[in-house]
Amino acid sequence: MKEDALLILLVFVVWAALALIYALVPSLGMPGYVRVWGAGAMLFLGLAGLLAVVRR
Amino acid sequence: MNAPLPSLSDRVSALPGCDKALVRVLFGASLLALALGVGFGWLTALGRAGVAVFEPQQAARLLTLHGVTVFFYWLYLAQTALLLVLAGAERNGGGLALRSLAWIGGALMLAGFAVSEIASITGTPLLYDGGPALGRDDPAAVGWFSLGYLLLGAGLAASSASAIATVITRRNGGAGGALSAVGFALFAWAGFLIVSAIAAVNAFLPSVLWALGRGAFPANQPTEWHILFHNLHYLPLMATVVVWYVLVQALTGVSSMHGARFSKIVFASYLLFVPPTSLYHMFLEPNLSETVRVVGSLLSLFVAVPTVMAFLIIVSSLEAHGRSRGASGRLGWVGALPWKNPVMAAIACAALNLGLGLTFAFVLIQEKLAPLFSDTFFVPGYFHFFAVGTVSLSFLAAMMVVLPALTGSAPWRPALLCRMPAVISLGLLIFGAAGIAAGYAGVPRRTFDISYGGGAPALWHTLMTAVGIGGTVFALGLTVLVLGVARSLLPGPKDSVVQQPVVSWGDTPLRSQVAAWTGPAGVVLVVVAMALFTIVAFDLMNALPLTVIGGGGHSH
Repeated sequence: MKEDALLILLVFVVWAALALIYALVPSLGMPGYVRVWGAGAMLFLGLAGLLAVVRR
Repeated sequence: MNAPLPSLSDRVSALPGCDKALVRVLFGASLLALALGVGFGWLTALGRAGVAVFEPQQAARLLTLHGVTVFFYWLYLAQTALLLVLAGAERNGGGLALRSLAWIGGALMLAGFAVSEIASITGTPLLYDGGPALGRDDPAAVGWFSLGYLLLGAGLAASSASAIATVITRRNGGAGGALSAVGFALFAWAGFLIVSAIAAVNAFLPSVLWALGRGAFPANQPTEWHILFHNLHYLPLMATVVVWYVLVQALTGVSSMHGARFSKIVFASYLLFVPPTSLYHMFLEPNLSETVRVVGSLLSLFVAVPTVMAFLIIVSSLEAHGRSRGASGRLGWVGALPWKNPVMAAIACAALNLGLGLTFAFVLIQEKLAPLFSDTFFVPGYFHFFAVGTVSLSFLAAMMVVLPALTGSAPWRPALLCRMPAVISLGLLIFGAAGIAAGYAGVPRRTFDISYGGGAPALWHTLMTAVGIGGTVFALGLTVLVLGVARSLLPGPKDSVVQQPVVSWGDTPLRSQVAAWTGPAGVVLVVVAMALFTIVAFDLMNALPLTVIGGGGHSH
């Protein structure tokens, strides 16, 4: 499941980057985006970890 | 798309009885939601055509019930049922993991369905986005309405967790093996559903707290709704291409000629493109900075990339296999598909409707055009190509395969059902063409009485009459299809299921340099049509004797 975990990890990277941008640029004025994309990023990080653990 | 053995139907048949019972309940509830939603929608179409007259409050309630019932409960009950049954099939006889969580999820979703329907019938009609501004004087209505969506979200999360656990423990415990392409798609789809549940909490929990007197008025709800709403655009389309992927294999035996890894990349790309493309929903916000508008416009171009890629994989694989089997002529391979199978007819119509929907979606989401069209009938005119013509037809097609395997009961009159996708698409074409033209002509989206004291253009009434006719045709076709599919929910006589026609192209060796141009040609056609209708829209905008400015949200 290595490729599966890597793909989901890539999702985490993109979502976390977007959440960071919304968090660090207050003029965007969209705190909800930080919450949802940030929580989603954490979820996909966890799912990537789950796939990596199951692979072992 | 490695060809799995045994077949999908056999793997569904092999599910444990308790899992079968759960997905039957969910499929049944989803079909009930669809039937109710079609009824509410048909009345709405008659109201817009002027055939039926509704007071403004009644009209708002009809719109609310239609949107809530179809856009939320039909689409998400059906998705959950499909996700669970396909995940169970991946496990090949092992049944659902975390089964009790799946049952709890199902119960929460059904509770949400009941709460949302009762709140929509008895409370202040808030439209399907549950905007608290409309219920400022009726906090209880806002609270109950929002609670319904929270229950739905909680149910989605619980059911999705079960699906994830099922997929990763498939086949002998699953340790060490890579997921199949479908397994990976289900895994990603379930993760996305959980994120959407989080987005639902973000959008609707403040409304519940306000209704309970434990929070401030949720003034930001429209913005938070946009985040959830963006997910709700993507999820049904992602589910649709997963369904196509599975059904094409069941109908033809064809696997992706591009390999499972490429398919996984395409399914993952749905998740990669979700957050970056979300900005276009904010184009009507008057205070949005010019930088964000430009960035949002550029990113919005990527919104259909995953769906187009999945479409190309499926069509090119089918075409290459069909031609390798000897199909000749430009579209000879298309003619060789199993057209007497209602599932094939539904998928084909869904693909055509997807092309139409994409064409006009790209006209709408352009930064300069969104303010012009977002509050006109252009919006319902185009999005029914997606919601009904693409997603609903695909889900019903999947049920025509899955339900007989679950219950042993054949669909009702498959020869008649085979014609319904074309009937529905014809109705949609009338509804969509008239609705989009009405949007270009400026007919407002949610105002039933458009006479404006006799001052409205005569063309408006003509176009809305056509909307009513088209809506009636596709509502009729959908009703027949839903009843036919629902028949398979009930147990039938043993061995009553007659195998619908399929073809077996999967084991055909691919010829070298075999042509597969139909998919790319279809995409080019959509791009050309999109450009054409964009030019028309800009010509129209430039001819207007006024400047359009934004206000409120892009809340279609």
